Amino acid sequence: METARKLRVAFVARPEQAARRLQDSDRRMWDPDEELVGRIGSGDRLAAAELVRRHLPKMVGLARRMLGDQAEAEDVAQEVFLRVWRHAANWRPGQAKFETWMHRVAMNLCLDRLRRQGRNAGEVSHEAPDPKASATRSLDEKQRRQRVSDALLGLPERQRAAVVLCYYQERTNIEAAELLGVSVEAVESLLARARRSLKTALSAERADLLDGLETG
Amino acid sequence: MGTGMNEARFMELLASFGAELSRWPEAEQEAAEGFLASAPHRTKDIWESERAFDRILALDAAAPSSLFLEAKVLSRVRLSAPRRLASVRQVLAQRTQWLAGGALAASVAVGFFVGYNPSDRITSTQMTAMEDLFGSASSEVFLTALTEE
Repeated sequence: METARKLRVAFVARPEQAARRLQDSDRRMWDPDEELVGRIGSGDRLAAAELVRRHLPKMVGLARRMLGDQAEAEDVAQEVFLRVWRHAANWRPGQAKFETWMHRVAMNLCLDRLRRQGRNAGEVSHEAPDPKASATRSLDEKQRRQRVSDALLGLPERQRAAVVLCYYQERTNIEAAELLGVSVEAVESLLARARRSLKTALSAERADLLDGLETG
Repeated sequence: MGTGMNEARFMELLASFGAELSRWPEAEQEAAEGFLASAPHRTKDIWESERAFDRILALDAAAPSSLFLEAKVLSRVRLSAPRRLASVRQVLAQRTQWLAGGALAASVAVGFFVGYNPSDRITSTQMTAMEDLFGSASSEVFLTALTEE
């Protein structure tokens, strides 16, 4: 009501400017974090705590799947929130969702770490599962999760990034393309190749993994 | 069958995004839903198989973050507080400029309202506009100025 009244008044006083502002606001996407980021920009620590609660699991999840290490993932997540705190005052809403920006920061930090450590496709420290062993005994929940995690870490960096963003972080194909600096068609192709590789990597245990889902 | 979706495209998207249609490109979701609803059994079987694989991938679910980690992150945020002080100074500097600009704009606007009103009476629309532009106290200041005149 209040906003509508202000807009009406603005149309009387400055019709062209108000019309432009209305078009801009229509074009702008709704960002659930915008208000919170504004408060963080003014130094509101409660808002910072709320943003951490809202996004920390996703940031840790992204980094853990990219790096394969929980401790490193937590370091990355902390660095993301430090940057949020430092840059919130300069955040310009309307260009991209704040969460997308956080994903960009987290993904870049992960890729930097992987490159610094010279780790890349398939260079995973985890041992590959022994198909014979898994055929003779059923896997517990932790092992099943580890198998999937290992298969993910066996993917080339960009394929892994596409899977992490689209499957686990719930980014759209357009957001993933933007974050990876590629076209939406390229994202589709990365995902298709990644999915094929994951199926191959998990084929020996597929039945066991599905059994676990039904019984667990 | 949904419009704009054929079996080849459906299979392409299924191979990339898996069975969860909400992950598919937004522009093609509705068409894909329509296509799937009336798809042959063979296609539905393939979709079911991909859905099972999605469930396997979902085994690597994100664990909820611990309160300890939340506290650790927030304590690091607190350690970076000196950066905020610099920003507060910037904000104060900006506010000073805004105040100067605001005072100038207010005097121009008051002049406009006084000079432009043909009936020498303040309409409620003008009062509302004043309040919206310069805050709720502005109309009172304006009225006082007029009365004193």
